[in-house]
Amino acid sequence: MDPASSAKATRSQERRDPHASDLLADDLRARLAEAEETIRAICSGEADAVVVSHTTGPRVYAIEGADHPYRVMVEQMHEGTVTLDRDHLILYANPQFAAMMAIAPESVRGSRFGRFLAPADASLLGTMVEAALAGGHSSGDLHLRTADGSMVPVRLSVTLLDAAGMQNLCVIASDLREQRRNEAILQEERLSRLILEQAAEAIVVIDPRGIIVRRSQSTNQLARRPVLMGPFDEAFTLTASGIPFGTADILAAAHAGENISGLEVEMLQSSRKTSTLLMSASPLSSDGNDLLGCVITLTDITERKRAEEALATQTDELARSNSDLRQFAYSASHDLREPLRQLAVFSELLQTRYQDKLDNEAAMLIQHAVDSAHRMERLLTDLLAYTQAADAPQDTGRSTDANQVVQKTLAVFEEKIAASGARVDCQPLPILAVHDVHLTQLFQNLIGNALKYRGPEPLWIRVSAERMDGMWRLTVADNGIGINPAYQSQIFGLFQRLHGGGKYSGSGIGLAICQKIVQRYGGRIWVESEPGRGSRFMFTLPEKQNVAQ
Amino acid sequence: MSHNNFEGLSLLVVEDSPGDVFLVKEAMKEEGLTCRLEVADDGEKAIRILDDVDAGSHDRPNLLLVDLNIPRESGTAVLERLRRSPVCGKTPVVMMSTSDRLVERKRAFDLGATEYFCKSSSLAEFMQLGKLVRRLLEHREAA
Repeated sequence: MDPASSAKATRSQERRDPHASDLLADDLRARLAEAEETIRAICSGEADAVVVSHTTGPRVYAIEGADHPYRVMVEQMHEGTVTLDRDHLILYANPQFAAMMAIAPESVRGSRFGRFLAPADASLLGTMVEAALAGGHSSGDLHLRTADGSMVPVRLSVTLLDAAGMQNLCVIASDLREQRRNEAILQEERLSRLILEQAAEAIVVIDPRGIIVRRSQSTNQLARRPVLMGPFDEAFTLTASGIPFGTADILAAAHAGENISGLEVEMLQSSRKTSTLLMSASPLSSDGNDLLGCVITLTDITERKRAEEALATQTDELARSNSDLRQFAYSASHDLREPLRQLAVFSELLQTRYQDKLDNEAAMLIQHAVDSAHRMERLLTDLLAYTQAADAPQDTGRSTDANQVVQKTLAVFEEKIAASGARVDCQPLPILAVHDVHLTQLFQNLIGNALKYRGPEPLWIRVSAERMDGMWRLTVADNGIGINPAYQSQIFGLFQRLHGGGKYSGSGIGLAICQKIVQRYGGRIWVESEPGRGSRFMFTLPEKQNVAQ
Repeated sequence: MSHNNFEGLSLLVVEDSPGDVFLVKEAMKEEGLTCRLEVADDGEKAIRILDDVDAGSHDRPNLLLVDLNIPRESGTAVLERLRRSPVCGKTPVVMMSTSDRLVERKRAFDLGATEYFCKSSSLAEFMQLGKLVRRLLEHREAA
């Protein structure tokens, strides 16, 4: 109602009738009370509009009071906002909250807030609500779960709304995803910077003008001065294969879209001293493919090169030394045999030609000389065989039928086998990836030993084979005199003999040759033996692949 | 022992060891061979003799016994020189060595050796050289 028109009507009625003035006063008081109530409602926000009677009928006046902008603000604010009652029931939600939860706004109102909490954070809400009820406000970081199940990190701010005797809660959820993304980017940037700064290699980033815009700490050490914001070519004077190499070359490669990988360059450090560096360079391009610069990595390999060269020299020297040693062993054994051979022959000639003129003692002495010369010759022959076995190529491309080798070996020992009455049992043997000469040497030594070191019992020798870990294990077993366990580990050594007094002839090299041969093929040889009960010599050799057995 | 002692034939022995030269003579004697022995105690001397043979200033040998391991020019160099000779290139040659290595034996035959004799430490085996020489000389006569 218009207050001006109301006062004018009151004064007009007072002049006409005194009783009427009381009625008018009551009417005015009632109108005043109504006006005051209207003002209070407007002030408290309870009234959205005022209806005023006019001669033309009632008119509605919308109140655009002080709280209207706040309502708009809540509707349009970036944060998601909801009001809850004490039981966490959502009374109101702004569109942003619904959008954040990927759900229709009408589906939010009437839901319990817990529905939108990540399970792990469900208990936090109760705590925050309790804190807000007690202290008016609480806040904390937690995760909300959207309709599609993804998690949204938010900062939740809970405020107690105590109005008109009702206690409700206003919850504002600030989406932290952008912040977290920024934090992650910052963290990555920090990490990249840390890696760059602490990298052992010199890593530099140059711009298209060849200026160093970023660098690792070790870059300064390599250049022996601060290099940042200076030209790369001033910091590093490089040559590749004796030709100057710098940013012009690096950038040319970068413009062509090429990487430089593991290029060995020399860096001039002083007028005399140079270092060897391994250089790699990759172009840095924008999304639009414009060249922004290059990342260059320089690794100082001077020491490594020196070490490699020293190692190569040592290896060469070792190979030469080994070769010299083999040559020496061969020459020594060969050249020593020559006079020995003549000594043996001439002793024999002396013995033959003058046997009628010598007494028994002289004949015996000459016989000793002949025997010694023969023994020495045998020793040298075996030593020569040993050096050749050590030098033998693996030759695994060969295929040798072990059955045939054993048969040939038995033929060599035919007389001794017959004389000893030995029974030889050879089971089926495999085809092996070894040279037949080497396999022959193995069987001649082992079967020869079995025949030589036989016991009082009738001798039997058994040759067998079985697969073992991708190799073949071959066994030569006998019932001979056996070997004392204390000496079993020694017998494969060079010149190792267990029997003196001329009872068993031999140079003590045979088993060493066997071991050398087996080792050349990646196998091993060992013995199981019991004195008086026999021995089992076993060795492993590679099987021949893809050959029908 | 055969009746033929091959007297009048000549053998060129290329050997630096006096002991082995002695044993070669013993082997010839044992086999009853009375052919003439000429000794060259290094490879260079042997090649010079072959040069003289080619020049017609030296009698051609009927058989050569050449040790592989001799001073100056090697036994194989002597063998190669002999095989190039237009006068005595087809003369039988026995290469001699202490070594019984197959590689050396093969190399000698590849270069044209007629026989390979391993100088043994056994007297009886060494004396087999006489028999070998007789066989080669007989074969030569038959040819």
